[in-house]
Amino acid sequence: MTTAAAELADGLRQILGADRLLMGDLARNLYSHDGSIVGGDCGMVALPETTDEVAACMRLAHQAGVEVTPRGSGTGLTGGAVPLDGGLVISLARMREMEPVDVANSCVWVQPGVLNLDVSTAVAHLGLHYAPDPSSQQACSIGGNVGTNAGGPHCLAYGVTVQHVLAVELVRPDGTVQVLGGVAPDAPGYDLRGVVVGAEGTVGVVTRVLLRLTPLPPDVRTMLLDFTSVADASAVVQAIIAEGVIPAALEMMDRNMTLAVEEFVHAGLPTDAAALLLVEVDGTPAEVDTGTAVVQRVAARHGVRTVRVAQDEDERALLWKARKTAFGAVARVKPSYYLHDCVVPRTRLVEIMEVIAEITEREGVMCLNVFHAGDGNLHPIIALDRSDPDETERAMRAGDQIVRACVAMGGTLSGEHGIGVEKRDYMPLVFDEDDLQAQACVRRAFDPDGRMNPDKVLPTGTRCGEVGLADTQVPEGTWI
Amino acid sequence: MSANWIPGVPAPTHDDLNTCVQCGLCLPHCPTFRVTGLETSSPRGRIAAMRAVQEGQATVDGDFTRFTDECLACRACEAACPSSVPYGRLIEAARAQTEAARPVAERAVRRAGINGVIGHRRLTRLMGWGLAVMQALRLDRLAPARLRMATPRVTLRGMRQPLPEPVGDGPEAMLLTGCVMDIAFRPAHRATLHAMGRAGYRATTPAQGGCCGALAAHAGEVEEARHLARQRIAEMEGAQVVVADSAGCSAHLRSYGHLLADDPAWADRARAFSARVRDAVELDAPPARTVDERVAVHDACHHLHAQGIGPEVRRVLRDAGATPVDLGDGGRCCGAGGIYNVLEPEMAATLGEQKARAIMATGARVVAVANPGCAIQIRNHLRAQGSEIQVRHPLEIVD
Repeated sequence: MTTAAAELADGLRQILGADRLLMGDLARNLYSHDGSIVGGDCGMVALPETTDEVAACMRLAHQAGVEVTPRGSGTGLTGGAVPLDGGLVISLARMREMEPVDVANSCVWVQPGVLNLDVSTAVAHLGLHYAPDPSSQQACSIGGNVGTNAGGPHCLAYGVTVQHVLAVELVRPDGTVQVLGGVAPDAPGYDLRGVVVGAEGTVGVVTRVLLRLTPLPPDVRTMLLDFTSVADASAVVQAIIAEGVIPAALEMMDRNMTLAVEEFVHAGLPTDAAALLLVEVDGTPAEVDTGTAVVQRVAARHGVRTVRVAQDEDERALLWKARKTAFGAVARVKPSYYLHDCVVPRTRLVEIMEVIAEITEREGVMCLNVFHAGDGNLHPIIALDRSDPDETERAMRAGDQIVRACVAMGGTLSGEHGIGVEKRDYMPLVFDEDDLQAQACVRRAFDPDGRMNPDKVLPTGTRCGEVGLADTQVPEGTWI
Repeated sequence: MSANWIPGVPAPTHDDLNTCVQCGLCLPHCPTFRVTGLETSSPRGRIAAMRAVQEGQATVDGDFTRFTDECLACRACEAACPSSVPYGRLIEAARAQTEAARPVAERAVRRAGINGVIGHRRLTRLMGWGLAVMQALRLDRLAPARLRMATPRVTLRGMRQPLPEPVGDGPEAMLLTGCVMDIAFRPAHRATLHAMGRAGYRATTPAQGGCCGALAAHAGEVEEARHLARQRIAEMEGAQVVVADSAGCSAHLRSYGHLLADDPAWADRARAFSARVRDAVELDAPPARTVDERVAVHDACHHLHAQGIGPEVRRVLRDAGATPVDLGDGGRCCGAGGIYNVLEPEMAATLGEQKARAIMATGARVVAVANPGCAIQIRNHLRAQGSEIQVRHPLEIVD
């Protein structure tokens, strides 16, 4: 360990006590991973419990010039919480306090380690919920959701995390604390809150979040539609929305995925179907009836085999459990998976599903699809055994081709998981050099030393150019 | 890449470890993770630690032992896991490893209780008498807190009361008398024997009786566990149905098939035996009396997570007219975990306190608890909070 690191460890121990600073080899090993297959190198782990402690940790890291990676529950899928160069991991998992709900303004301040589902559970008695619901919502933290600007099945109708975060308290890389945003719908000045949401820990550590709470819908109906072809199911997705109905959620699952997940949930999913659609409509009873009728009519037009309507809350919960535990169930097929969450315009769903099938077949890898069909946010899960280098290579190759195909169809890299390390080097596919430099400048405005979660999001080599352009570079006649 | 497991001792297998994709859905279900927020006290972290040893990046050292020791083996993670990772099997194998790595002196102390006393029926009875005398003289107050919180209430009267002679007519059902149950929970045994009779069996007890070996298995003492399993099979396999009124025991009896799978002389007998095991709450016995009150229900981990038993307990109570009340804590472990509360007193105390508060919040006068470890822990923590709520086996409540 370097002297700087040893001094940092001493300082952190004084603030946190020996129990909340992990230095052992095995602990460091465990904090070198998240939910993805990316592995890194963790120097030490700090577990603060208050904003003041985080600020003190950050000041010490600043003095020591040590890199910092914030971490929530570590369920991320792109290596975003994986430290790469032996830096300090600040785990926010012990910051789990919720302040009292501001009922009049329908919002609540929470610490970043609070789990997503725990927010909804805690406010259900007020007839409210926190709308963004990533599939990992039982385990993932609000801080992580803010970092990745997480989505979820119900984001089709309700919007993603950034639409539900009114303000954040940010500890900047030098340890200063700042609140960005507020209860008011539109704070004056630049929307810096919007910069922090989705910044993947590259601008500082979020220590409190003001969440917007949404009324629970008065009525909800969940339907499971099954099709004998993926193309029919894909066509139904765009047709429903073209008819003017925005379902609360519109999810697709292909046969491979259905087989794996049914083994766990025993929800009676039709395992012989080529594709399933899970459609939920909510609102007033009249809206729900109308939405249901449209969905059934459109589905019938495209040769739906059966429409199963959840009869009660238990059945609805079971269908959602099937959807939300899908990733974890992949281990029934192979010990690891490689996954992109690229997006295509939903008008191109039919095409992209065919292309994905072609690519995975050509590379000889098994692909399981389960995704947010309504907003074209794909999750082709390529199952693999990492101890087989050839299969790993083929999986990586297939993933690469899928990303490129999505971008070629006018899509983008990530719908909700973030960029992290895994998709970092694809950024030039969607941004040119100027765009990337502009983003690097924003990042640098918050983190001039480049110590916050370095080598994530932007490709290595993307540095902020000189912001003040030299006089000679300004074309004549330009108004400055 | 060669594994760093200690040779000649059971170890987590490559195939079992490969069933985990590190998704982390287990984290919120793990009681120790909920308390510490540490990856190292989560199921995913423990599996990653095992995998690090398997892949030659770590050894069975002090840290590894600490991470595994902290696990309650409640298996809440197993029920939540979409890949059905066999976590119970993994942690038992990891513990066999940590036991083998433990310094001889420390291991001897840990083993003394499990192999030296619990495994021997007479010594267990003797210990029961000792406890009863100590508690009658109130000498137990001199014991350190961690032991006191893990010690059952044993009375001289209870030690003297025999179990009833065979009850009822029909095919024979034999009750496992066990170790701790036999000295501290005879009222539950009596109620269960009555219920077996009402369910249409001739209810009997084994001539000798003794421990099922669950405590030994959970502590990584696999050989001792196998020895006790063979004893119980030999003694009880004649009965059509084998009944246990402790969640930990019924779950363990059901795993004899797995425990003795590598023993050619016993594998078949063990499998057949396991198939005949019924937990007391699965007997479908009509209630003996009407219970007109609300009853708080504590789900033992070895019921809820290991066997999927939960509705059965509520049905027993509802059939008698009682209103079962859930605790609203998602069935989190009470922290007893076999002898966990002796070995990891701090974590056990935190969880025990949480559980006592959740029970008190129901406003019920009695809580149904179908496992001796939980009953001891819950009773002691209720009393420590100044609560007089009664702790009873569900069949005792309707007896």
